[in-house]
Amino acid sequence: MSNLLVQDLVKQYSLEGKSFTVLDKLSFSVDSGDFLTILGPSGCGKTTLIRCICSIEEPTSGKILLDGKPISGIGPDRLMVFQDFNQLFPWKTVIENVIYPLKLNKVSGDIKTLTRRAEEFLDLVHLSAFKHAYPNQLSGGMRQRVAIARSLALNPKVLMMDEPFGALDAQTRSILQKELKSLWRKFQTTIIFITHNVQEAILLGSKVMVLSLSPAKIKYYKKNPLPEPRMPETPEFMALWHTLYDQLDTQRY
Amino acid sequence: MLKSEIRERRVTVITKVLFIFVLFFFWEYLPVWTGRDKLFPPLSRVLESLWQNLTTGELLQHIKFSLYLIFSGIGLGIILAFFLTAFCMISKTFARIMDVIVSIMHPLPGIALLPVVMLLVGLGAKAIIIIIIHSILWPLIVNSLAGFRAIPKIQLELGRNIGMSEFRLIWAVMIPNAFPYILSGLKIAWARSWRALVSAEMVFGASGVVGGLGWFIYKTRYFMDIESVFAGLISVIIIGMLVDEFLLKTLENKTVKKWGMSA
Ligand SMILES: Nc1ncnc2c1ncn2[C@@H]1O[C@H](COP(=O)(O)OP(=O)(O)OP(=O)(O)O)[C@@H](O)[C@H]1O
Ligand SMILES: [Mg+2]
Repeated sequence: MSNLLVQDLVKQYSLEGKSFTVLDKLSFSVDSGDFLTILGPSGCGKTTLIRCICSIEEPTSGKILLDGKPISGIGPDRLMVFQDFNQLFPWKTVIENVIYPLKLNKVSGDIKTLTRRAEEFLDLVHLSAFKHAYPNQLSGGMRQRVAIARSLALNPKVLMMDEPFGALDAQTRSILQKELKSLWRKFQTTIIFITHNVQEAILLGSKVMVLSLSPAKIKYYKKNPLPEPRMPETPEFMALWHTLYDQLDTQRY
Repeated sequence: MLKSEIRERRVTVITKVLFIFVLFFFWEYLPVWTGRDKLFPPLSRVLESLWQNLTTGELLQHIKFSLYLIFSGIGLGIILAFFLTAFCMISKTFARIMDVIVSIMHPLPGIALLPVVMLLVGLGAKAIIIIIIHSILWPLIVNSLAGFRAIPKIQLELGRNIGMSEFRLIWAVMIPNAFPYILSGLKIAWARSWRALVSAEMVFGASGVVGGLGWFIYKTRYFMDIESVFAGLISVIIIGMLVDEFLLKTLENKTVKKWGMSA
C-alpha cells in the first residue's frame, strides 16, 4: 500500500520581487518500507522537496498525503536527519539526546523502559560506550549515528535524510551506509535519502529518483533492479551508474 | 592532559604564588623601611584590622548590607532583562525601540545617574538598587538578544520536528542555546554592578544615610583609620573575586565549557 503520496507539488520562492519556481508539479508516491534515494544537481530543490514533506517549508500548492491523510504540520511522524553535525542538543549527553524525544512524545513506558529503548538503539549504531559523552566529545560521524538512532527510536512513518554522510570521509561513509542499510532492513522504516553520490544512491536505494535542474521535475524514478549484495565492480552496477550519471544533466555547468 | 600542558600549568601556578609572596613581602616591610607606615600600613596590621573589624561585627554588617543590595539589584535586573528581551523577541517594533534605548543607556556609567535617581527616589537603598539595575540591565539585554539571534536555525527546526510546542521550544531549545551569551552577560553584569555599588555607597557615605562596604571605607578614612580602609578594600576585592572566580567560573565550567558551546 502507498505510504506517502505527493501530488502536483509546487514550491516557489520570491527572489528580488520576482517569484521563481523550484519544484514544478512533482507527483510521485513512496511505498511503505521503501528506501528512496534522490539524486539531482546542486540547487535543483532536493532539500526543498523533503523540507516540504517534513512541513518545515510550506508548499505553494499541491498535496502531500501520508497514509491517505493530508499531512498536518511539522511533527515526529516525519523526521529529518540533517547534514549538519549540529543536530544534537549540546547540553544533553548522547543518551539524553535519544531519551528526550521519546519522553516528549510520551512513547509508552516508564523512564526505565525508555532508557532501555534508547540504549538498544545506541547499541545498534555501536555507540553504547559513548552514551554518557556530550556531543562535542564525538566525531562528526558519531554525531550522525546518534541522530539516526534518535530518529529510528521514535519510529517515524517516514525518515528523511538530507545528505547525512555528505561531510564524512569515504571510509566512515561506507561504514555508516552499511549500518543504515541493516537498520532499514530490521525496522523497515520508509526512508527518503538525498545524496550527491551516484554510487551511494545505488547501494542504498530500493528506488532511485533523479531530479532535473530549475525547475525540478522528475527525470527518472525506478525501482533499483540490482540484487543484493550490490557490488560496484559488477557490469550491471556500472551500467546503472552511467544511466543515472547521464540523467544528472551535468552539461549545465 | 599532555605532559607539556601539565608543566605549563605548574609554571603558571608557581609564578603566581611567587609573585604574591614578593608582593606581600614588600607590603609588609617597605612601609616600615621608608617610614611611611602611618599612611600605608604594613600587611600584618591590615590583616589584624580586618580580623578585628570582622569579629566585632561592624564590617560584617556592612558586607551583609552590600550583598543584600547587590543581590536584590541583580535579581530584579535579571527579571526585568528577561521580560524586555522576551518583548523584543515578540515584537520587531519593540526590538527597534529597545535598540535605541540600549545604545543611549549602555555607555552611561551608573554613578553618573546617581544625582538624577536621588532627586527621583531620594536617598537610600532604593536609589542604590536602581543604580545596580541600570548597570546590569543593558549588558544583559544586549547579550541575551545576541544569543537568541545566534541560535542555529537547525536547532529550532529540530525542536519542532521532534514535536515541541512553541512554548517548550523557548525554554528547552532557545534559552539553552543562548546560554553562553547570557552567561557572558552575567559576568559583565557582575563586574559592573559590584563597582557601581561600592561607588554609590561612597557617595551616599557623604550624606551618611546608608551603610555598606563603600560607606565603611569612606567612614574609616574620615577617622584616619587607614588600616580599616585597607581592610575594607580587601573585602571588596575578595568578594568580587569569590563571585567571579568561583561562582561564575564554576558555572561556566559546569555548563558552557563542558558542552563545548561558546558565545
Ligand atoms: N529560503 C529560500 N529563499 C529563497 N530561495 C531559496 C530558499 N531556499 C532554497 N532556495 C532556492 O531554491 C533552490 C533549491 O534549493 P535546495 O536547497 O532545495 O537545493 P538542493 O537540491 O538541496 O541543493 P544542494 O544539492 O546543493 O543541497 C535554490 O536555487 C535555492 O537558491
Ligand atoms: Mg540540499
